[in-house]
This record gives sequence, structure tokens and C-alpha cells, in this order.
Amino acid sequence: MRSEIKNVVAPMLITLVILIVLEVFATSLLPVFGVKQFILPFNIAVVLFFGFRFQTPYLPVFILIVQYFHSFFTVEGWEPGTIAGIAVCIVISYLRDLIHFSSAAATMIVTQIFQTFWFVVVSGLIYMRMGDVTYIVDKFWRFVPESIVISLLSPFLFMIFEKVWSMSEGGLLGDEL
Amino acid sequence: MRVWETQGQRLKLVLNICVLGLALFSFSRKDTTFRSTSAFENLMIDSVTPLQRGVTFLHGEISGIFEHYVNNVSASKKNIELTKRIAQLEAEMFNLEEVQKENQRLKGYLEFGSDLNIKKILGQIVSWDSSSDYKVLRINKGIKSGIRLQSPVVTSSGLVGYIYRLTDHYADVLTILDPSNRIDGLVSRTRAHGVLEGDSDDRLIMKYVTRTKPIILNDTVITSGLGNIYPKGLRIGRVARIERESYGITQHVEVIPEVDFGGLEEVIVLVSNLDEVKKVEWEALDREDQEKR
Repeated sequence: MRSEIKNVVAPMLITLVILIVLEVFATSLLPVFGVKQFILPFNIAVVLFFGFRFQTPYLPVFILIVQYFHSFFTVEGWEPGTIAGIAVCIVISYLRDLIHFSSAAATMIVTQIFQTFWFVVVSGLIYMRMGDVTYIVDKFWRFVPESIVISLLSPFLFMIFEKVWSMSEGGLLGDEL
Repeated sequence: MRVWETQGQRLKLVLNICVLGLALFSFSRKDTTFRSTSAFENLMIDSVTPLQRGVTFLHGEISGIFEHYVNNVSASKKNIELTKRIAQLEAEMFNLEEVQKENQRLKGYLEFGSDLNIKKILGQIVSWDSSSDYKVLRINKGIKSGIRLQSPVVTSSGLVGYIYRLTDHYADVLTILDPSNRIDGLVSRTRAHGVLEGDSDDRLIMKYVTRTKPIILNDTVITSGLGNIYPKGLRIGRVARIERESYGITQHVEVIPEVDFGGLEEVIVLVSNLDEVKKVEWEALDREDQEKR
């Protein structure tokens, strides 16, 4: 079975190292060049890749690990991203037959759609906590440019992750289950 | 066909429910005033932050070399101007020494700040928060430097925020621009109270200010000292906009922070021994109780 633990540990560690490098880039390098208002959420790209490419039952645990490592770089914590990530991946699992990554443009569009769904879930959680719509409106205006950049980068990022996880194009990890 | 007919699908359902439940439980229990770190988080943050610090340092060094070269070109011209200026300043310095003596004398009369015994720790900004929803910055000082959770953070211009998360060598500062950071503020001129909240990247909103309070543009807003985090009298910002509706009991006040967050590089963490003072007071009260019994 391809999704056995021993086959997952090494690629997962490499994915986490890539995530840490990307987070350092987003939190240290971009702000020194004056980009402080918009921080690229690379963790969403990783979780979406997992959602698109994995059918393993351990997917929620993978999301939890990614979000936990993301929480070292933000006071947001691992919780909202984990909830949003699992919700998004459940939706993806139902729409899997409709999703195709036939071209870079298709990958970007699909990534943008699911990032929007992620935004809706996280905004719902924030609204439950703060009860303030103004904050969510502000968040939306930050989300638009950030998500577009992530969508534009997604074909390249997904290509790297496919190599890390030794996947063929369009393949699924754990699809025997 | 049943939906959860295979073992894998059942396992997936169970894991989804467990992880979602754990995340929701943890999210609902989350403290908004500070975030404590586990030993593993402490270790990981202390391990990954040097990378962030390295990137910031590298950028500083490269831009420093470039700036040094550009500055050298115009240095010779400035040198002549500065020589003249030194002669002028030497004359002024004599007067300043007298002012300084007077200042020390007056400070002694007022005993300004002597009872607070605040320790000042200089920290360098290493990185910003990974989520743009949070206006948080990370500094290169932590528990080992003597910083405590909820210590106020300032610059010479004014208030920056407070320590929200802390590890051995690094600390996360929740800035006043963050909407979850609420500060009890005071308009310096009229002594009108209000609660300040971060609104956007460059301004704060001062809520609950009574309509009858005559606030004007450019009024200075300072901390009131309420809330047990910020000491009284720290400059927060200046009033930039006032809206008074014909109804309601409060007015809408927008404040621009004194601190330029865009160009922030270093901050000062104020660590008071207030906790120790409180501890001594509690111990004294306990002793008093025991003696009565």
C-alpha cells in the first residue's frame, strides 16, 4: 500500500522543510522589502495540494501537521487552518471527478476557487469569535491579492510537491483504499 | 451502495471527526490576551526563527554596503558643513549642560518613575506574522533576556503593543494595529476615556468616547493605565478623524499611531517588577491573616 507510514514520513518531512523555507521567505524577506500588508499563505497551497492529490484516510492528520508547523510563524495557531483545510478537503473529495488539472490555467482556477472556500470557512470562524463584519471585509481585500499570487504559483508549487511525493501527473496517493 | 463501506473510508471519517473536534475544542478554548507555548513549540520556534533572523540580517548587511557606498560620495560635501555645525553645537552644549542639571534636579523633586522600577530591553525585529490577519511582529529577545508575557513594547515615538507569545529566545509582539488588541486610552488634553482597537494598517479606532467630550484633530491619545498591561501615559497616537452623528451617545474617533510601523526596526520591551511587588503584598496580607488567627 503506497500510503503506508514508512512511505509517507520522508516526503512529509521534505514538504515541511519546503513549507518552513516558504514561510521564512514570506515573513522575513518580503517584509524587509516593504511588503508587510500582504503575507503569502503558503500553508494553504500545501493543504490544497494534499486535498487534490491524496485520498488517504490520514489526510486530516497531514493537514493538522502542516498547520501545526505553520503555527510556529503565526499567532493565529493551527486551529482555524485545520478546520478550514479539512472542510475544503471534504468538499474536494466529493467533487474529485469534476476537478482536472489539464493545464496550468485550470490548476490556477481550481486553486482560486478552493482558496475562496477556505476564506469563507475561516471568515465564519472569525465572525463567530469576534462578531465583526468590518474585519472580515478588510480581510477580504487582503485575501484577493494574496490568493491570486498563490493561484499563480500553484502549478509550480504543485509540480515540486508531486516530485517530492513521487507522483505521476493526476495520480492519487492512497487511492487503493 | 453504502457510503462508508470500506475500512479506509471508516477510518477517514473517524480521523476527520477527531481532528475537527480537537481543532474546534482548542479554538473555542483559545485565550485572546496571550498564547502560552508548549516545550515542543518553544524548541521549534527557537529553531526556525534564526532562519528568519538570518534573512533579515543578510538584507541589512547587503543594503548597508550599498548605502555605505552611496553615502561616501556625498560625505565630503557634508564634512565641510558639519565642521561648521560642530563649532555651533559646542557653543550650545554649554547651555544644555545647565539645562540637564536643572532637569535632574526637577526630576528628583517629582521622583518620576522611581517607584515603577521598569527594566528596558532592546529588541530587534526579526519577522512579521505569517498571516496578514494578525499584526504581530517577532523580536530577538525572549525569556532568557528577562521578558515576560504581556510586557508592554514601545519605541521612543510611542506604544507598539505587548508580548503575546514567548519562547526562550524570541517573543511575538501583538501590535496596537491588531483588532484583538484593545487598549484603554485617554485623550491627553480633555482626559476623555475610550477603548482603542486596531482598524487597518495605519490607524486605530477609539470607541466609547462620550459625544459631549470636546475632542479636536491632532489631540494626543495616551494609555490610561487601566487593564494591567500598559503603564499610564504612553503615547499611542494622534486624533485623525472625528465623526459625531446627530444620534447616539458616543462619537467615532480615528487615531493615527505615533509609531511608524512601516519603518520599525527596533523596539523596547518594558518589564516591570510589578508581579514581584504584588507577590510581596499578598505574602504580607497572608502573614497578617495568620497573625490574626
